[in-house]
Amino acid sequence: MDWIIPAVNLKLILPEIVVCLFAILILVTDPFLSKERKIWSAHLSWIAVVIAFIANIRLWNLQEATFTNMFLVDNYATFFKFIFLAGSFLIILISMSYLKREEILHGEYFSLILFSTLGMMLLASGFDLVVIFLGLEIMSVSLYVLAGFKRSDLASNEASLKYFLMGAFATGFLLYGIVMIYGSVGSTNLGQIINHITSNDAGSNLLIWAGAGLLLVGFGFKIASVPFHMWVPDVYQGAPTPITAFISAGPKAAGFAALLRVFLFSFTTIKMDWTMIVWIMAALTMSVGNIVALAQSDIKRMLAYSSIAHAGYVLVALVAGGETGVSSALFYLLAYTFMNIGAFTVVIALGRKGQDNTKLEDYSGLGSRSPILAILMTIFLFSLAGFPPTAGFMAKFYVFGSAVKSGFTGLVIIGVLNSLISVYYYLRIVVLMFMQAPVTRTDNERIKVAFCAILVLIISTWAVLQMGIFPQSLLSLAQASVSSIF
Amino acid sequence: MEILIFSIVALIAVICSVQVIISRNPVNSALFLIATMVSLAILFILLNAPFLATIQIIVYAGAIMVLFLFVIMLLNLRRDEFGPERRRAQRFFAILFSFLLLIGITTVLTVGTFNSNQVESGWSKTIPAGVEPLAQLLFTKYLFPFELASVLLLVAIVGAVVMAKRRL
Amino acid sequence: MNFPILSLMTFIPLLGMVVILFTKEGQDKLVRYLAAFFTFIPLVLSFILLSRYQGSTSQIQFVEKFDWIPSLGITYFMGADGLSVPMLFLTALLGFLSVIYSFGDIKEKVKQYFAFLLLLEVGMMGVFSALDFFLFYIFWEIVLVPMYFLIGIWGHGRKEYSAIKFFLYTLFGSLFMLIGILALYFNVEPHTLNIMVLIEKTPLLTRSFQLLTFAAFFVAFAVKVPIFPFHTWLPDAHVDAPTAVSVILAGILLKMGTYGFLRISYPMFPQGAMYFAIPIAILALINIVYGALVCMAQKDLKKMIAYSSVSHMGYCMLGIAAVTVTGISGCVFQMVSHGLITGALFLLVGVLYERAHTREIGAFGGLWIKLPVYSGLMILFCLGSLGLPGMSGFISEFMVFIGSYPAFKVIVPLAVIGVVITAAYFLRMIQAMFLGTFNTKWEGLSEISAREIFTVVPLAILMIGIGVFPSPLANMIKATVENIVHLAVR
Repeated sequence: MDWIIPAVNLKLILPEIVVCLFAILILVTDPFLSKERKIWSAHLSWIAVVIAFIANIRLWNLQEATFTNMFLVDNYATFFKFIFLAGSFLIILISMSYLKREEILHGEYFSLILFSTLGMMLLASGFDLVVIFLGLEIMSVSLYVLAGFKRSDLASNEASLKYFLMGAFATGFLLYGIVMIYGSVGSTNLGQIINHITSNDAGSNLLIWAGAGLLLVGFGFKIASVPFHMWVPDVYQGAPTPITAFISAGPKAAGFAALLRVFLFSFTTIKMDWTMIVWIMAALTMSVGNIVALAQSDIKRMLAYSSIAHAGYVLVALVAGGETGVSSALFYLLAYTFMNIGAFTVVIALGRKGQDNTKLEDYSGLGSRSPILAILMTIFLFSLAGFPPTAGFMAKFYVFGSAVKSGFTGLVIIGVLNSLISVYYYLRIVVLMFMQAPVTRTDNERIKVAFCAILVLIISTWAVLQMGIFPQSLLSLAQASVSSIF
Repeated sequence: MEILIFSIVALIAVICSVQVIISRNPVNSALFLIATMVSLAILFILLNAPFLATIQIIVYAGAIMVLFLFVIMLLNLRRDEFGPERRRAQRFFAILFSFLLLIGITTVLTVGTFNSNQVESGWSKTIPAGVEPLAQLLFTKYLFPFELASVLLLVAIVGAVVMAKRRL
Repeated sequence: MNFPILSLMTFIPLLGMVVILFTKEGQDKLVRYLAAFFTFIPLVLSFILLSRYQGSTSQIQFVEKFDWIPSLGITYFMGADGLSVPMLFLTALLGFLSVIYSFGDIKEKVKQYFAFLLLLEVGMMGVFSALDFFLFYIFWEIVLVPMYFLIGIWGHGRKEYSAIKFFLYTLFGSLFMLIGILALYFNVEPHTLNIMVLIEKTPLLTRSFQLLTFAAFFVAFAVKVPIFPFHTWLPDAHVDAPTAVSVILAGILLKMGTYGFLRISYPMFPQGAMYFAIPIAILALINIVYGALVCMAQKDLKKMIAYSSVSHMGYCMLGIAAVTVTGISGCVFQMVSHGLITGALFLLVGVLYERAHTREIGAFGGLWIKLPVYSGLMILFCLGSLGLPGMSGFISEFMVFIGSYPAFKVIVPLAVIGVVITAAYFLRMIQAMFLGTFNTKWEGLSEISAREIFTVVPLAILMIGIGVFPSPLANMIKATVENIVHLAVR
């Protein structure tokens, strides 16, 4: 029997290799570190991310597949990997002081973050549904554990369990969808799926329809779109705050990476047929997310619903489709990563040991207690609300623009009204911070912010303003990223 | 014929997996899961994949399920948590079926003859999904997912340790 | 490259804001002088602008144009014509005066207050000089943020409610503008956001598209003007804002709405202008008469002046709706004149409130005896506001009526009723507050200070100057207005 060893180009998966190796390295070295030196695991992990980032830069403008066409490196994937790595980098930085404060500084945490990042990168690069599935699982399993990392905290346990159950459910749907598509196409390779769909009359093939629908459900869970969003609030609230920030940034973007790739690449010829469903999903996601966020009294919960709403805005870009649609989604996710992590960093900075201070009242009078934190929070909130001249505005402008271009003005009107609603609850925090006196509590002490958190705040503020005022360089990067798909 | 067998086995698989969820007794759940796994194995045989079927039984119905049962026993559930038992009839059928199984196995052992050459040549040449083609696919075309699966398992192990260990 | 005067006017206050933010806490005096300095420079520049402006042509002048986000076709495009120059001057003037006024008015969080005030000026300057839609929209939105904080932190009464109401109403409108902008962008080949290019191309678009886009922009501008029924944010915001902010709100922010109509809606969508002429005129009529009637019922002086703005902006809209040279000139005159007069009125109300801590009209009486200078100024501006000949208000209202009568032969005579009611409520107020017997409760009231006089006198001079000698302003806007009319009746 002749064995054909597939061509393997390890250079292409260098970033993944780096991340994976360092994750294992941390696992191996961590037991030998004394309690005071545990922080070295954290340092190792951000070093890994930086190296992977550099390795990733070298892959820019490359378009090559390896491992029998299962792993594709193109600008689209590379751009997404930049988002993931940047997000993970920031999360690792803010985690350090948080974990120390909560006394749960263990090497496994950073190892799992790296594994999760690996999963995301696979989602972006996977050109085969099997790889996409495995990437999703690697990412999710790590996240289930991370969500429950505060093991003595009941809320954290609950978050982990809920996330796990819902995630497993979603995985089932996804797998089922993959099976259906395999059943009708005879391959799980995205390239062959598109060939099959284009050459045959796929519109009448029920299996493909069912498969696409189930994939949509599976990804819908991961990106937290309505009606698959039920897990979001509890998980966001219960998980350790850096992990909440992580879940809302990276994995969401990764879900979109795969979703956009599968739907706009493989199912692009039947786009007209699934657009209506996604249209409704987008409208619902935006509206439910924003309206329910109005009623929240806990900032983590509020940001959870706002994150649902933001998924809705990106779905608008999916509905729009085409080159502008995808590049606007990329830009949006990049902007969202920074502004969201920025906001969460402030949330973390306000916490104390065993006391997260995430009630909205905890923010009253922050403007006088810590003006700089309050100003930065305001910038992030304005950006989340989509207000110029911040990244959030530029991103929304681009997304809505792409939708108007494709003729979905109705959806844009819904989106625009939703931004209006969202302004109300974002501004409520600003009102509390600047216009109300602090609730009399013991918190008159100065708020100390760790060096790493300051670094994260600086980076995210810079990114938010850079993308808002001089977005050209990143815009052209996003635009260069999509040309490879079409 | 094939359709008939498929329908019956598939039906069993579905019923059993529903039972896994709805039965109150965890041991029953585990047993129903085994039944589901076995019917899946039969489906594999129908698909001309005897090797996968064997693996399915050895790994899932065998190893993993035994582990499940061990865990359930280690949990030291109290009696009322097992739900009501239906003893008499159950015992009767249990004895009956194990006796039938004994007869079946003895018959096979005494009447049937082993011819390993025949088995191997028959499977690997005419049926496409024997050990070798599977291995070939796994190490060529599906090399990447195969490696990824190992990462996934590693993550799962780390996760289990993190969640379960008393002191990290 | 010529001297970037518009950019300087726009961004010097921003520089000032940064400088102020870097001052040490507690140096209130330094902060005040810095704020005055950084608003004085734009004022000086605006005089240069006035003197350099060539009124004989409708060409855009002082152009600055660079690529900004080339991949989306967005440029940094600033320029001024006869419409924006007077508004820029008004902005610089009122910005400076409100800073001066705030010297005594604001005692808490001085640093932040002046920083926001300067940021506000950045936004307003930008709106009046941006000629790229993206830039225009950004400045338009930037205005909201400092305004929101200024009302919410330094205001009175239900300040948070008013602030958020103002914010949400205006944002509601401007988001429709965003949709309009996006729709325009993608329906014009090649895609552009350059307002000047769009003006040339949009009339070629289909009628239904023009009407829809006109409606979208209408919502945005109507909220700002404000046109009935979008006006309910105005009394709340005006009344609860600190004095200097009310001045800017009434003096400049409202004009951003009418400016938008003249700069964008009418030149760009002649079809829409024609189609919606009657409805807009009717709304303007409602504004005029309803606003004036509500004024009659007010007991609070500041609220009365706030509602008088609703009424006065109605004249602007009436002039615009007619699309005649005289009507639109009248509108521009009214924009300037209302900015001067209402600005001054709010300042004077602030002066009184600071001393008496009440604004109830009925609580005063015979103030003329005690405060002759104050009363004289107040009465002067009230007369200006009710349109006494010889002052700018008269000129503008007269031009609006003459210009719009040919177009709306029924509506205009009805609108004249508004003038009568206006006279009634102002005279009633003057009588109640300044004439009659002196209420001895106010024995301790001190006369208006020199600094406060300094803030209103320039406004008085300009008001009377324009009223007596309107031709410089008329010459300045003539070519531009003719061009707008020419574009709007395509």
